[in-house]
Amino acid sequence: MRRNAGSSAAAGIARKRKKNHTKLRLIIFGILVLALLFTAVFAEHICPYDPNRQDLANALQAPSLAHPFGTDRYGRDMLSRVIAGSQTSIFSALALVAIISVGGTVIGVSCGYFGGIPDTVVMRISDICLAFPGLVFAMAIAAVLNGGVRNAVLALAVVSWPKYSRIARSQTLAVRQAEYISAARLAGDSPFQVIFRHILPNILGPVLVTAMLDIGTMMMEIAGLSFLGLGAQPPTAEWGSMMSGGRSMLQTYPWVVLTPGLAIFVSVALFNLLGDTVRDSMDSGNA
Amino acid sequence: MKKKMMSMMLALGLLASALAGCGGGGNSQSASQNSANQNAQSQSAAQGGETGADPGVTSGETKRLVWGDTTFNAENGEPDINPHRDSSGWACIRYGVGETLFRFSDAMEIEPWLAQSYENVDELTWKITLRDDVAFTSGRPMDGEAVKECLEDLVAEHERAAGDLQIAEITAEGQTVTIRTEEPVPALINFLADPYGCIIDMQAGVTEDGIVSGTGPYRAVSLVTDTSLELVKNENYWNGEPKIDEITVRTITDGDTLTMALQSGEIDAAYGMPYASYPLFENDNYTFTGCATSRVFFGAMNFESEITSDPAVRKAIAMGIDKESFVETLLDGNGYPAAGVYPDSFTFGGDAVTTETYDPEGAAEILEEAGWVDTDGDGIREKDGQPLTLRWLTYPSRQELPLLAEAAQATLGAIGFDVQINNTADHNRIRTDTGAWDIYFSAMVTAPTGDPEYFFAYHCLDSSSNNDGHYHSDRLEELAGQMTQTFDADRRGELAVEMQQVILDDNAYVFCSHLRMSMISKSSVAGLAAHPCDYYEITADLDIADSSAR
Repeated sequence: MRRNAGSSAAAGIARKRKKNHTKLRLIIFGILVLALLFTAVFAEHICPYDPNRQDLANALQAPSLAHPFGTDRYGRDMLSRVIAGSQTSIFSALALVAIISVGGTVIGVSCGYFGGIPDTVVMRISDICLAFPGLVFAMAIAAVLNGGVRNAVLALAVVSWPKYSRIARSQTLAVRQAEYISAARLAGDSPFQVIFRHILPNILGPVLVTAMLDIGTMMMEIAGLSFLGLGAQPPTAEWGSMMSGGRSMLQTYPWVVLTPGLAIFVSVALFNLLGDTVRDSMDSGNA
Repeated sequence: MKKKMMSMMLALGLLASALAGCGGGGNSQSASQNSANQNAQSQSAAQGGETGADPGVTSGETKRLVWGDTTFNAENGEPDINPHRDSSGWACIRYGVGETLFRFSDAMEIEPWLAQSYENVDELTWKITLRDDVAFTSGRPMDGEAVKECLEDLVAEHERAAGDLQIAEITAEGQTVTIRTEEPVPALINFLADPYGCIIDMQAGVTEDGIVSGTGPYRAVSLVTDTSLELVKNENYWNGEPKIDEITVRTITDGDTLTMALQSGEIDAAYGMPYASYPLFENDNYTFTGCATSRVFFGAMNFESEITSDPAVRKAIAMGIDKESFVETLLDGNGYPAAGVYPDSFTFGGDAVTTETYDPEGAAEILEEAGWVDTDGDGIREKDGQPLTLRWLTYPSRQELPLLAEAAQATLGAIGFDVQINNTADHNRIRTDTGAWDIYFSAMVTAPTGDPEYFFAYHCLDSSSNNDGHYHSDRLEELAGQMTQTFDADRRGELAVEMQQVILDDNAYVFCSHLRMSMISKSSVAGLAAHPCDYYEITADLDIADSSAR
């Protein structure tokens, strides 16, 4: 009896400690991600040089005090381009995740709630999208749409929404029969009121966590399309296309490739860590 | 949590090692760490060391060499080595399979090769005497009949050759061939030196894979399009004994892959190395051979476009591209700023013509005078509400074309152009749609046969197959008419100068730079020499040092 009490107390302390730990991580990663977003928002003011100004006389300078990340083959300051690139890379990833999570959820909830033939049709379409390897499908669409960051985002949105509609639909199916939904219906709520007031708040958790974890992935995929020449077009600074442009200099002038690569690495890692932490904190919140 | 920390540490460790690996740019050996045993072996061989029994170096009695080339592929019109198909003649002649009746000297003068001599009987008749000691790799002796069969098949299969040669009739008698043309073709002998003129045995025919029997120092034994070509020594070669027993030509379309293949020792010699990789090979382990070619980066204006049909805009573009800086920095000095169609090495090339020089202020003034003014202060000029947007079409397979586009985007941007680059492998389709581009930048060998007529016939006349921008000049048509009737080489040169000046005065084309072509090989490879016409690569002189003997 006593032992039981002791072990449950220990488990409680451990849980509390874990909760505190998660909170601390949430704060740290949150601040770091905010710093990243701040850089992206104010990129134009932070850049030490004009990221698109060429100066061929100063091409391929190694990192120095004047150019901490060196210069590229056109003599453009790499630090300025990496900062300016954050705007393109991060914002397009955020916009993409916003589009697919909101769009996918709306579709999924509607399908789950109303059911019937539209549900079957939409879900088969999503099956088709899921049957293709995502990036290959996106490459085909981006190639048809003719390059540009906006088209790359569009292409990835077309292939990535089904994940969210699947999650939202299954969650909706799970809560649809709940008593409080029936009660709301009996009270005379319209289907939209039911969905927005009662269903959405109850299924938002998993969607949010998926979206957080998706930001990093989408950032990689946008960079991937740009690396292949299907995303950002010159002279737009974008990390993927910067890496692609400098790839032949990996051995001779490595900073041209490594600095945007490092930027992708750091920001993807940060968004993933934050996503992980949000999930952990939600888990412990539910526990 | 611990696990996560561990994986973070691992990732950082990986990154650090990557950084360390790439940091030593000067040492080409450290940059390509190979786990593959064979690579390590041949690397040490390249360093001038030990025996390496693998591709490339000699093994026992058999001398082997592996050649890497970025251009031997179907996208480039070279799916195989059949000279009567598309641009495959380039592969046929470059890899030592085929030879032409006439060839070019280092000074780009025509000299006999499989032929012994020729006689221009009258304006329409050419009598060519052939060597009598040449045989095809199929075993058949090369005589008049064989050459006749080959040329007849050529003009039946190859549209450009048929247009160039205008052959009416060929007669063969012993070792002489008499060609009668439909119209006077002053450059006939030059055209016969084009790679499509490789003499092959039509009785042996063309295999399904595209293999032919030529007269060259090497015989093709197997070919896989876009992958590789296997060659063996032609034991009965007429012009000396080939020094290498087996050669593999590998298609490596990506420049970075080619770089690493040469570094790792997977290949012994490379054609088409990106200029950016040159510094990695500028040491004792490798040899460069290079020379100036007539390959030029040039832009053709679209005369159907509302933007580039304006002469002021064309002039401003010609004045707004900084050719010197492009050559010096982005080509890393591997080129020469161009004025006209032909490089300095031609009597009718280089400074024989004049054109606009880089002058951004002057260009801005010209645009201003023509009514192109930046009214809304966004840095881009407008006229009658139309912005000065220049749609720049180019393609990535010539690795420096996109660099030129981006450099010009900046310099033209400074004078008020909004340059939109469309860098696509699909350029051959898009360029035929005049509604889709304003200026099309491509690379081309302007005088492959040493004669000036080719470029104009191909690009600038009403009858040209590649006059994509629909340029027309009465004066040019008249001069071109004269050239087709002119046999005297000096007079042809004068006409070439006049014709260049016409297209330059119209700013119908902008010539940016002529390229220096280099081949890079391991230092154990000998007898490799770049040629200004870019045709002759693998010859009987090519050799690879027997590393076991060293």
